Amino acid sequence: MITLKNVFKTFDHNGKTLEILNDINLKVIDGEFLCILGPSGCGKTTLLRMMAGLDMPTSGEIIEGDKVVRKPTRSRGFVFQQYSLFPWLNVVDNVSFGLELRGIDREERYRKSREYLKMVGLLPFQHSYPQELSGGMKQRVAIARCLVNKPNILLMDEPFSALDVQTREKLQVELVKIWENEKKTIVFVTHSVDEAVFLADRIVVLSKSPGLIIENVPIKLKRVRDRNSYEFLDVKKDIIQLLND
Amino acid sequence: MKKTIYSLVLPILIIFVWAILTTFTGYIPEYILPSPNEVFQSFFELIYNGILLEATLYTLTQVFFGLIVSAAVAIPLGILMGWSAKVEGLLKLIVGILRPIPPIAWIPFAILWLGIGLTSSIFIIFLGSVFPILINTIDGVKRIDPVLTEVAYTLGATEFQTIRKVVMPAALPSIITGLKIGVGIGLMCTVAAEMIGSNNGLGYIIVKYETFLTNEVNNQYS
Ligand SMILES: Nc1ncnc2c1ncn2[C@@H]1O[C@H](COP(=O)(O)OP(=O)(O)O)[C@@H](O)[C@H]1O
Ligand SMILES: [Mg+2]
Repeated sequence: MITLKNVFKTFDHNGKTLEILNDINLKVIDGEFLCILGPSGCGKTTLLRMMAGLDMPTSGEIIEGDKVVRKPTRSRGFVFQQYSLFPWLNVVDNVSFGLELRGIDREERYRKSREYLKMVGLLPFQHSYPQELSGGMKQRVAIARCLVNKPNILLMDEPFSALDVQTREKLQVELVKIWENEKKTIVFVTHSVDEAVFLADRIVVLSKSPGLIIENVPIKLKRVRDRNSYEFLDVKKDIIQLLND
Repeated sequence: MKKTIYSLVLPILIIFVWAILTTFTGYIPEYILPSPNEVFQSFFELIYNGILLEATLYTLTQVFFGLIVSAAVAIPLGILMGWSAKVEGLLKLIVGILRPIPPIAWIPFAILWLGIGLTSSIFIIFLGSVFPILINTIDGVKRIDPVLTEVAYTLGATEFQTIRKVVMPAALPSIITGLKIGVGIGLMCTVAAEMIGSNNGLGYIIVKYETFLTNEVNNQYS
């Protein structure tokens, strides 16, 4: 479980102090699929980076379990918005990276990595290099690389935003399946209402400048969700309303 | 094949003009610029009697050892300087002062401190090649996409592991560029150093045969 208590974040930019996030209070419950939704530039990435330990709050506290988050650790996996595979390693070595850090021997490493590559449907590409993969495949590998490392929580920063609509929707379906099988906690950042409603158990809606939580919306729709159903469209409408107020 | 022929056009043309100016017209006297056939003849003679081969080997050995020392110093130092602003701040000024000094300018000191011979040459090659390797390594480390180091941290890497498994491979192309430049400069330095303070190598035979040439010219004028 991750708890954010009165988290503020400011950046100093050309002598001016920019208030990015204002008094964020949030509990991420174990096993939930939480989406953080907000317009571009509202501080979603900043918020997620602080949860990972890649950035520090200006004030306030972020706690995982009973420990204050001070630096990145493997218990909080992160999938970045930009492509982040190591270009000098092939797919299976990319996925094995975290295991190698812990000194797990090659055979064991590859066995586990292949298991997760299979899960994301990329086993046939295990010997390919990142530059030979499409954007969607790169993000799948990044997800596998994260999962094989057995984090308690998966932090995902708009991982599908650079992909075309078909690929994005396909990966959303796959991600929900993975979440159901692995029983992971996921915090997923997005600016797409459609994506958030499709994925989330709960949506935290952020406003822009300064970023603060304007609403906590539980999504009760049955899975697998149908994007064209009336219920789905109704929920979407409500949330778009919230964002526009 | 076509490309090979294409790239041979210009050299052949130059030799042709060279031959016209020397052998065929005598426009440029022999003692200023020897004719192509004479140059090739001497070249084969030097190869045949082994002098050139031996000198080349000697020179290359020196460059090799000089580069090893350079790489051993410049690569770790460059990685640290590129990675840590503190280390860079500490060393920046010294590097900035030493770097513009032409390596050849160190030759008198090298001879004074280390005498004439291998150590001296290696010292000069080191001074010539260490900075290109250092600067390229620093540059390579600084240009790493920060997302790659952050990925490593979120996968549980320590700082040391991040340097070893991300920073080093990511900076490798720049390091190799630095080494390539280092080889070139190292070779220039050696030949120059041998021309002044050595009794072997390519630079040495250049100077040696220069003396012969001078004698020949003197004979012609006397
Ligand atoms: N390191 C930084 N220095 C200064 N400003 C920053 C920095 N990082 C982010 N910002 C600013 O903070 C705001 C929120 O950024 P970000 O968290 O990336 O938003 P989002 O992910 O919601 O699009 C933006 O206006 C951005 O320009
Ligand atoms: Mg963002």
